[in-house]
Amino acid sequence: MTLPKPATAEPLADTELIAGWRGGDEQAATELVTRHARALARFLTGAGAPEADLDDVVQETFIRAFRAVDRFRGQCRFRTWLLTIGSNVLKDFGRRSARRQVMPLDEGVRDLAGDPHELAEAREAEALLAAGLKRLPRLQREVFLLRAQQGLEYDEIAAALATTPGAARVHYHHAVRRLKEIVE
Amino acid sequence: MTEEKLEQLAKRLGARTAERLNVDAIAQQIAQRLREQPVSRTLWIRQTWVRIAAAVVILIGGAVVASRLTPGRPTHMAHLVADDLNDLSTDQLRSVLTTLDDIVSVDSVVSDSTADLHELDTQQLRTILREG
Repeated sequence: MTLPKPATAEPLADTELIAGWRGGDEQAATELVTRHARALARFLTGAGAPEADLDDVVQETFIRAFRAVDRFRGQCRFRTWLLTIGSNVLKDFGRRSARRQVMPLDEGVRDLAGDPHELAEAREAEALLAAGLKRLPRLQREVFLLRAQQGLEYDEIAAALATTPGAARVHYHHAVRRLKEIVE
Repeated sequence: MTEEKLEQLAKRLGARTAERLNVDAIAQQIAQRLREQPVSRTLWIRQTWVRIAAAVVILIGGAVVASRLTPGRPTHMAHLVADDLNDLSTDQLRSVLTTLDDIVSVDSVVSDSTADLHELDTQQLRTILREG
């Protein structure tokens, strides 16, 4: 099965691409990867994925998602669902490579734009945040990243993590309080 | 550090790393893997049915074991009473019959449900019990 060509240049919605993939359209899966891979990578980096493993974790997350797509009932957006799968994949990878660094040491060498002093400060703050996130309980970390980094509403976060919006809000505020202490 | 600044920091976290990601290459590799190891939906359905069947077997097995371990079934009671009577000597059996005589003499009213016994008088009942 191939995707129907839209009459206008409007991109297909995720739900249409998912339906396409369910019908066996490989191109639909590729489009979903192109659409969500970077957001997933950012989330995974925030959650502590080592850069050396990032490609593998992203790949594995999409593979698991496509294989389990029948269990996606639209309880939240596809991207949100994908991020929660990514978190599980990362947990499995973490068991195998627990000793790797979160932030690579040569990060600054590759990024040449901007004032070196400001870049160094920004990088230091990011490294502190990454280290702080690693110290948070998993649920607090995920809620914080979904809210602060991905910009999701509490309802969406709650649906993805099988909790209540109120509980998600509490987790977020606990995370913020602890991260402030760490980063400052 | 305000919450707003923390959020800005979180938004930047991983951005450079994500930009370096070769999305096209990853998409191709994923497509390749999906082709090599196609999704087996029937496998998932089969696994679900196996789990359901296992749960049913465990439930039925548990119920059978529980029923065997639970005392107080009528057939078992009758069996146990018969065993007890077999263990009694002749004198003990006579004593039991005498006790029954006393009970019958005290409770001269017989239940309506035992229609045949109802028609007998006390003396006839005593005779039946001795002969039985």
